[in-house]
Amino acid sequence: MSGDIRLPAADAAPTPLHDRARRFTAPEVVAGAAALFFVLAAVVPQWVAPGNPLGINPLSAFQPPSFAHGFGTDESGRDIYTRVVHGTGSSLLIGAAATAIGLGLGIVLGTLAGMFGPVVDFTVNRVLEVLFAFPGLLLALLFILVFGPGVITATIAVGLSTAPGYARIIRAQLIAVRRSAYVEAATVQGLGRTQILLRHILPNTLAPLFVLATLGVGQAIVWAATLSYLGLGAEPPTAEWGAMLSAGRTYITSAWWMSFFPGLFIVLIAVTATVLGRSLDRRLRHA
Amino acid sequence: MRSTPQTLAAIAGLVAVGLLATGCTTTPTETAVGDPISGGTFTYASGDAQPSCLDPHVGGNFPQALVSAQYLESLVSRDDNGAIIPWLAESWTTTDDGLVWDFTLQDDVTFTDGTPLNASAVQANVAHVLDPNTASSTGYLALGKVASTEAVSDTVVRFELTEPDSALLESLSQPWLAIQSPTGLERSKDENCEAPVGTGPFIVDSWVKQNAITLVRNDDYNSPPADAAHEGPAYLETIVWRFIPESATRYAALQSGEVDLIDNAQPDTIVQAEASDTLVHLDSPRPGASNRIELNGGKAPFDDVLVREAFIRSANVDDAVTSLFQGTATRSYAALGSREPLAVGRDDLFDYDPDAANALLDEAGWSERDSEGYRVKNGERLNVQFPVSTNQSIPAEQSIFEQIQATAKQTGFEVSLAPLDISSWYGALGANEYDAVSAPYTKAGPDVLRVLYHSDGIVPAPSGYFANLAQVSDPEIDALLTEAAQISDETERAALYADAQNRLLEGFHLLPLYDQQNHFLLQADVQGMRTLPSVSVPTLYDTWLNR
Repeated sequence: MSGDIRLPAADAAPTPLHDRARRFTAPEVVAGAAALFFVLAAVVPQWVAPGNPLGINPLSAFQPPSFAHGFGTDESGRDIYTRVVHGTGSSLLIGAAATAIGLGLGIVLGTLAGMFGPVVDFTVNRVLEVLFAFPGLLLALLFILVFGPGVITATIAVGLSTAPGYARIIRAQLIAVRRSAYVEAATVQGLGRTQILLRHILPNTLAPLFVLATLGVGQAIVWAATLSYLGLGAEPPTAEWGAMLSAGRTYITSAWWMSFFPGLFIVLIAVTATVLGRSLDRRLRHA
Repeated sequence: MRSTPQTLAAIAGLVAVGLLATGCTTTPTETAVGDPISGGTFTYASGDAQPSCLDPHVGGNFPQALVSAQYLESLVSRDDNGAIIPWLAESWTTTDDGLVWDFTLQDDVTFTDGTPLNASAVQANVAHVLDPNTASSTGYLALGKVASTEAVSDTVVRFELTEPDSALLESLSQPWLAIQSPTGLERSKDENCEAPVGTGPFIVDSWVKQNAITLVRNDDYNSPPADAAHEGPAYLETIVWRFIPESATRYAALQSGEVDLIDNAQPDTIVQAEASDTLVHLDSPRPGASNRIELNGGKAPFDDVLVREAFIRSANVDDAVTSLFQGTATRSYAALGSREPLAVGRDDLFDYDPDAANALLDEAGWSERDSEGYRVKNGERLNVQFPVSTNQSIPAEQSIFEQIQATAKQTGFEVSLAPLDISSWYGALGANEYDAVSAPYTKAGPDVLRVLYHSDGIVPAPSGYFANLAQVSDPEIDALLTEAAQISDETERAALYADAQNRLLEGFHLLPLYDQQNHFLLQADVQGMRTLPSVSVPTLYDTWLNR
């Protein structure tokens, strides 16, 4: 009927914000399940994929996905599903360690800039600007160039290259918190500077960092895989996603599964981390 | 969030890689091959590194040889049977003591800058290769016994040697000793590197770094090697020489018709191409040494022949070659490639036999195993450091090393593979930080054995590189190789090389894999494409496009 304007029923009160935030959305549920799978695969890979990720069988190389080999086999006849699952642990570890390094460094630099007066602030900011001038991955590449390739250097490199971003955010957060009424109240009460920093400012600054860290893990895993893909991270025959993707690249016209499945897992873990990070963000904001 | 767009971009990139579909093939057009058609542009896509200098006297590696064979020519060449045939030199004579060689040059050849080819031009080239400022390595080594040169007449050039060199002609057939215009050589090194001037069928026209080298036809060309299919100028008008290092991209460019030929073709694409009607496979293994893994006998654990044999018996090479090369490479049991008539293969020495390997290791004192299953002796784990040059070993080869690592582990060897870029790789070798290594080395003829296995080759060159990476130091092998390099009687020479090879193989100094692979894929309408048998580089002189 024309002119019939639908209005919300008078008795359907709008859902309160905190309720909407508390309810799990479908993507969150899926991401949660995926995260559970990844954690299981990282902690007890032999439960999820009982085979040997390094076990070669040259005469059954290049087999497409089948019942025997769900994700197919690679050029040495290794089972790709087993390798992908066993690669989860190192990927997650690299992601978490790199994020921890980036965050740790970011907290130190951000705190220096945000808390210790204009001279320190100016200096740290200029350093950060120099670091920002290099794209993150380039900074990581520079670091590897100097210290040589390998899993540990790749992890540190990724951590270092994410640090400037964290430092900026922490500094901004610190300055905002420092000027808040409760810090002013604490100052008026005569609390010392260290006490204010530790008991009031840092706790209120760090909460949003959990969100950043979750998002950061996804990014760090992608970057670490990128470095391995370029041959600068994990060494053969380690079951590492980026290295597997790189090995599969050669055979992409004849054995697509060799690069598809490691690539899929990188995408899935990055998406999972992003969805969880966003969800955490939403919850914290409305808490 | 600052990080999100970057993450998504990275994800998108990875998805794109994952979804890259196989290219489609076009319907073949069957055309009877008629008379050669002149004209057209030919696009060559190389998977080798782009040379930093187009003059193969400078340094002297395979990528330089590939491209320079189109615009530079040598004094002699080899035919398909390995025999020496005339090229810029139409004949040659040597004295009975083998110390003086006279080469008579073709008398009507000019370089593409108008300079005539004569005896003094050849002298200028020898001087250029021996000049320390040129920094020649391959060409320099090949001229090691040349004491002086002399212009006997305008067309006769004399080489005087310090000792007889039965490999001189083979050395001179190589692109690293190609003859360039003396006028061109007088320019600065940078200028000559940009556009060397030769007598060849094509001329370097321009070089856009990291992109392509453009070569144009030499319309006055009159000096083909004795085994060429035609005379006069080349058929092709222009050659665009591109560099596409990524093998899948290179093959895709060939499938789409964007390029006419690719080198360094991977086994799986060769199999695909052979099944198609639009592509043709040209297999031209390199002469000289086979592709092999050298075991460093200069230090533990491979200073013990028992451990060397145990390692060789632990490596399941046959299955690896079958699975990875899919029929495109044949297992080798020799230090020399199958193109070398004097190669000696010993298939009785290199079989995969883990039981024998275990017994040998027990005998050598590596009888205990640690918790991870690796053998230990006096608290030391049986570790093999294996640096791999990612620039020089194709992916299938790197996978073979991984398979050897896996099979050798069953016997108790811990093989540490370290993929390195070329300068770090040279660094590791120079510092003697390796136990096993696969190092390509191309030199025409069996004299390559002297470069690779004579004890003189353990002494590092000023650059730090040494060619005897197995660090074989055996007076008997030294004597055999030195004598073989001096003797002119073919039968005696063959017998000496056979003795040297048998002794080398029985000492388990190396693990032969297969010939140095050299596969080309080309469009089916490319006619008259072949490689020069000297070092198996392609020549596009007889090539024409049937389209």
